[in-house]
Amino acid sequence: MVHLSSALLKRYHGGFVVIRLALGGCTNRPFYRIVAAFNKRARDSKYIEQLGTYDPLPNKYNEKLVSLNYGRIKYWIGCGAHTTKPVAKLLGLSGFFPLHPMTVTEAERKRKRAELMKAQPDGDRAEEEEQDKKEQEA
Amino acid sequence: MFHVVRSPAPLFRLLSPRGGVLVEAVRGRKSRNDPKAKSKADRVKLPPRIDPEEMVVLKERYEQYDLVVRALRAEFKQEIVRRRYENEVGSRAEERAKREAEEHRALMEWNDRENLRLRQLRVIRIQKQVEEEAKKRAEVVSLREEKRQSVLREKEKEILQLQEEVKTFITTENLEQRIEEALDNPKNYNFAIDKEGRIVKRTALP
Repeated sequence: MVHLSSALLKRYHGGFVVIRLALGGCTNRPFYRIVAAFNKRARDSKYIEQLGTYDPLPNKYNEKLVSLNYGRIKYWIGCGAHTTKPVAKLLGLSGFFPLHPMTVTEAERKRKRAELMKAQPDGDRAEEEEQDKKEQEA
Repeated sequence: MFHVVRSPAPLFRLLSPRGGVLVEAVRGRKSRNDPKAKSKADRVKLPPRIDPEEMVVLKERYEQYDLVVRALRAEFKQEIVRRRYENEVGSRAEERAKREAEEHRALMEWNDRENLRLRQLRVIRIQKQVEEEAKKRAEVVSLREEKRQSVLREKEKEILQLQEEVKTFITTENLEQRIEEALDNPKNYNFAIDKEGRIVKRTALP
């Protein structure tokens, strides 16, 4: 990518650099690039540098693949770039940042809901059994 | 809905699974001044319910997270500053300067060698060209000489032939002698030939 001199770059008043996800891909097939861009730019338009990728659909081994360029991310954060929530969560899961509080809270909520579902009266259990039978027939 | 759908931005095609056109998904059909639907007239929108215990725990977690992230940012910033300083002023500067000078010297040497080699080739080429030109000129000159010589020779031959023919010319002195000779030797040019090609030259005089 050709880096233009700052005189030619558009001047943003009060703008800042942001590390965020830019959406790409086709219908029913999203694909995100982790990208350092100016805040005022459109989500998918010209960015400063690509720092990684994120594929939200799991592959055949049931993995969601993420790639991160730690060196360059370090540089941009040192230059004062902000991160969006999903990017912060991904960095937390990868170990570069501490775990995001919402990741932990969401996990706790999910666990509580799962325990509630297990402890429900027989009405729900019967529904679950019917669903299992239908799956076995099919 | 009066959203202007902008033309699709250029995508990074290498990474998208199948290169395709990105369609901007525009939510909602109503613009700002459209009235509320009758079925939704009594709808009261409330914020999501908050669990106070969870909120307390969350706030604490966020404070800690913010602290850590701010510390990380400061550290990264410092690392960048330090690296730039070392590059320009500090320990790396001298090594870099030395390395660059070495590189420059090596490249200049290579350049000089290349120039020398090309100059030699050029000299040889020019020499060849000059020789070829001289040869061509010599050839042209020799051709011209040959032509002239051949013309001269032909002319000489003609002169010799003429000189020989002069002996058989009839001049005023020979006139009478030749007339008498011609009258004394009548020549007969008649001949007979048959279908098989036999020529008979002795025929009867008229």
